[in-house]
Amino acid sequence: MILEVKNLKKSFGNTEVLKDISFSMEKGDVLSIIGSSGSGKTTLLRCLNFLETPDEGVIKVNEETLFDPALSSSMSEKEIRNKRLHFGLVFQSFNLFPQYTALENVCLAPSLLAKENPSMDVSGLSDLAMGLLEQMGLSAKADNYPHELSGGQQQRVAIARALALNPDILCFDEPTSALDPELTGEVLRVIRELADKNTTMIIVTHEMSFARDVSDRAIFMDGGVIVEEGPSKQVIDDPKMERTKQFLSYYK
Amino acid sequence: MFLSVTLALLTGFLNTLKLFVLTLVFSLPLGLLISFGSMKNLRILKYPVKFFIWIIRGTPLMLQLLVIYYGPGIILKHNIWGSGDSGRFTAALVAFVINYSCYFSEIYRGGIQSIPVGQYEAGQVLGLTKRQIFFKIILLQVIKRIIPPMSNEIITLTKDTSLARIIAVYEVIWEGQSFIKSAGIIWPLFYTGAFYLIFSGLLTLLFGYAEKKLGYFQTK
Ligand SMILES: Nc1ncnc2c1ncn2[C@@H]1O[C@H](COP(=O)(O)OP(=O)(O)OP(=O)(O)O)[C@@H](O)[C@H]1O
Ligand SMILES: [Mg+2]
Repeated sequence: MILEVKNLKKSFGNTEVLKDISFSMEKGDVLSIIGSSGSGKTTLLRCLNFLETPDEGVIKVNEETLFDPALSSSMSEKEIRNKRLHFGLVFQSFNLFPQYTALENVCLAPSLLAKENPSMDVSGLSDLAMGLLEQMGLSAKADNYPHELSGGQQQRVAIARALALNPDILCFDEPTSALDPELTGEVLRVIRELADKNTTMIIVTHEMSFARDVSDRAIFMDGGVIVEEGPSKQVIDDPKMERTKQFLSYYK
Repeated sequence: MFLSVTLALLTGFLNTLKLFVLTLVFSLPLGLLISFGSMKNLRILKYPVKFFIWIIRGTPLMLQLLVIYYGPGIILKHNIWGSGDSGRFTAALVAFVINYSCYFSEIYRGGIQSIPVGQYEAGQVLGLTKRQIFFKIILLQVIKRIIPPMSNEIITLTKDTSLARIIAVYEVIWEGQSFIKSAGIIWPLFYTGAFYLIFSGLLTLLFGYAEKKLGYFQTK
């Protein structure tokens, strides 16, 4: 098992946003998370990426406990940073660094990390970054700044930037929601290619047919709990639970 | 006559320039520290800092100059500024640094808080440290955003330096005015205006250049 999440809970003030989330993933799995607005999908991804601290629960990657409440208070910034690197996160709003070119956006974090650990080899870094941009279909845009790129291109740079750190699990939070419809295809295509290469991914999305085709498993969340979980074709085409059926009927 | 006026005004302007440059040297970094203080989620730091900024921005610089120069001597019965021209200059400099640090801190704060939180979070999930995020990602974006208000404030500073004469710091207008008494002529005063115009013109060009230099990227 590459990822194991057990009894994860998170509240903001008095609102319980994640009530008791448990699931696991095998290496190479693609997991889609669907659910209505406010069901806690973003919060779950943010907990995995240490942007939020869960109140309770355990997160394990490759049998290593990254989070449990007993650990959390004693973790230093450096420890959190190291744990974070097991995950990558692609944001809905891209969040590219505007003062850097596409290539520099991809190289920035690995080169800064390499400065801290002199044992790391940086000689291949720009080749690696160029390779990733090529994989995203963006070789010609390597020297362009974010504002010179379309939304779809920016999001693909953001994917390359996350991949450059070689995370165990790459998370996407509605990667196409901020895009015009004609640009979603190019982003979904590169995610599909990543799936074909057995990249372990968690994808929060409202693109139901994409989720069904590209992912092995799917989770339907509602009100901070997992209502239904199973093979993506079954969850999306033939849900068992009433709440899931009701939700999916909006997408028919 | 023209030559002697020019020489006198140049001496005065040298003082103006010295006050201007030294004020910037100290208040630009100090303002950044104050802005961090005013943004910290620590009440015992944040509120006193905000109160101090309110006092300094809410009262005239002229008043602050007088209080800082005369205050210590009257309250402590001891002139901490030292005697003569250099003592008065030091007092003026301290007043300017305090005043401008507070103005700059508010500009920094506006700039820093206008950077979307997503920029920090993107840096965090890429495993960067807080320092790296600030210096490699945030700072340049802040600089780009604050150039227009900064250039306003700094051009105001060139003109504000003339207030230092209230505690007899011999800056350029003081020198120009002295010719009214000594020679009964007014044109040296207009001449001082030319000094300010040329200097603020140069600053405008400089900031325009900086703005252009950072025009290669766009922040949201
Ligand atoms: N920082 C926060 N402080 C307070 N409440 C929050 C915070 N972040 C999220 N919430 C609340 O938590 C709930 C779940 O939010 P979350 O963003 O995880 O939902 P989501 O499933 O991603 O929804 P969407 O499909 O709209 O993106 C919402 O009710 C939201 O208002
Ligand atoms: Mg969300």
